[in-house]
Amino acid sequence: MITTIVLRLKKKRTQICVILLSIPVLVLPTACLIYILWQGLPSLSWQVLSGEGLSGFGIEHGMFGQILGSLSLMLGASLLAAPTAVALALFTRLYASSILQRNTITLLHLLQGIPPIVYGLFGLVVFVHLLHWGISLLVGMIILAIIILPLLVLNCLHALSGITAESTEAARSLGLNDGQLILRVWLPVAWPAMLTGLLLGMARSLSETAPILFTATVFSGVLWPDSLFEPVTTLQTHIFYLAQEGANAAVVSIAWGAATLLIALVLCFGFSALLLRRMEHAQRIQP
Amino acid sequence: MNQSLNVTPAMPTDALPAIAPSLCVEHLCLQLAGRDILSDISFTLPETGIISLVGPSGAGKSTLLRCLNRLHEQWQGSITLADQNIQHDDADALRRKIGLIGQKPAVFPCSIGDNLVFGLNRQQRKQTTSAQIQTALMQAALWTEVEQRLHEPAAHLSLGQQQRLCLARALILKPSILLLDEPTSALDPRSRDIIEQSMLSLSQSMPLLWVSHDLEQAQRISSHIIFICDGKLIEQADADSFFRHPKRIESREFLRWSVCDC
Repeated sequence: MITTIVLRLKKKRTQICVILLSIPVLVLPTACLIYILWQGLPSLSWQVLSGEGLSGFGIEHGMFGQILGSLSLMLGASLLAAPTAVALALFTRLYASSILQRNTITLLHLLQGIPPIVYGLFGLVVFVHLLHWGISLLVGMIILAIIILPLLVLNCLHALSGITAESTEAARSLGLNDGQLILRVWLPVAWPAMLTGLLLGMARSLSETAPILFTATVFSGVLWPDSLFEPVTTLQTHIFYLAQEGANAAVVSIAWGAATLLIALVLCFGFSALLLRRMEHAQRIQP
Repeated sequence: MNQSLNVTPAMPTDALPAIAPSLCVEHLCLQLAGRDILSDISFTLPETGIISLVGPSGAGKSTLLRCLNRLHEQWQGSITLADQNIQHDDADALRRKIGLIGQKPAVFPCSIGDNLVFGLNRQQRKQTTSAQIQTALMQAALWTEVEQRLHEPAAHLSLGQQQRLCLARALILKPSILLLDEPTSALDPRSRDIIEQSMLSLSQSMPLLWVSHDLEQAQRISSHIIFICDGKLIEQADADSFFRHPKRIESREFLRWSVCDC
């Protein structure tokens, strides 16, 4: 009996090892997420969101300003980065030599590894001080666009790599020029994967805090900027400021609420990307 | 069958006069990454007939086709179409005159009808009549199978039907010459036979340069043979002469073993 169990365990030892190693990977983030929701959900209410009748550190204006600030930074960054990413990916695929293609991809991977705070520092020195744009929504958008650009370009290149050489050659053989090839053959095939990459980039820009901390945001005094050259408040930086008031339980509970909202927004974009990828996959395997 | 190949005197060939040569290749050379892919290729295509381009794998047959419609541009020598150097023509316009059908059918993710008119510009698409669509599909022996299905996705067609759709898509552009790169190699025997029959009909009105690894097929359908090995044109002759009495020892070796040591 014992021998049989030992033999069975020996046969499955690779499987057991893999499962044991993967448990922390699955359990820790899930536990973290559950804990944030556990702490954050009870503190969320219409009153907390709108700030009606509330007064005190970080709660007097509610959180609509922060939500709008985070979303506007994300949308601005995506609008700036997406066309550039698509153009760069098309250039790399269409005109760049194989050496340039390889080097571009290596460079993009390296850029992805640069800590976001460095981009924040760059934004502070160049845009805020040198160009005198000040701490503003525009600078935040530009810095976030720079941060998500490598991710978007790599996703676009991956999307374009799904187009077969036969399709491209067939289109060329029919006399299609570069523009027609892109618009009528490449983009119709690649756009779902490109959009998936964009959604992931949007989720990434929502989760960045350090680079916008001293280039785009302020803690209080701003509900909604009147122009691109004014600062905003965001959920990310709001959590940062509230968390520093660790001794004040009421304030920390608002931080958990803001964290829950932020996670909901990030998951919303992440799940949309996943859904789109599944739809695209289903479309590809359709006969 | 049909007209014969006109060959340049320098080449080792059976010299046969051509009637109004349509495509003339002279001293075509291509180097890629410092390696000779094509060396001093010269031949003239007749106005009609199927000309099979045969040779072992890696001989440069597909590359030669890609030079002829300028998918490869770095070649040296001269290629003229109706006495006009093709390098002086706009590449996109030229590709409409010299159609190319690849080994694997490549349909675009749209309907059968949209695939058919894919190579036409917006103005031409608007002016395309159902008679033109019918003619192109009939030339490719596909009309009866897709007559009621023009709005269906092209991906729903079988591989053989997709290849015929690619053929119809090239034919609707009214090309002067059709280049075929092993168009039946991925197809079942029935689809192969249908395409062979439609190509034989088409070859009455235009020259078809057909790359084939299948020597039986080449013998069955060709009026002429061009044999290429290691980027060099070894022999060109009418099909009967080539298969019955090949002049060059390399040709004899190739026919015997379907390989050669050039």
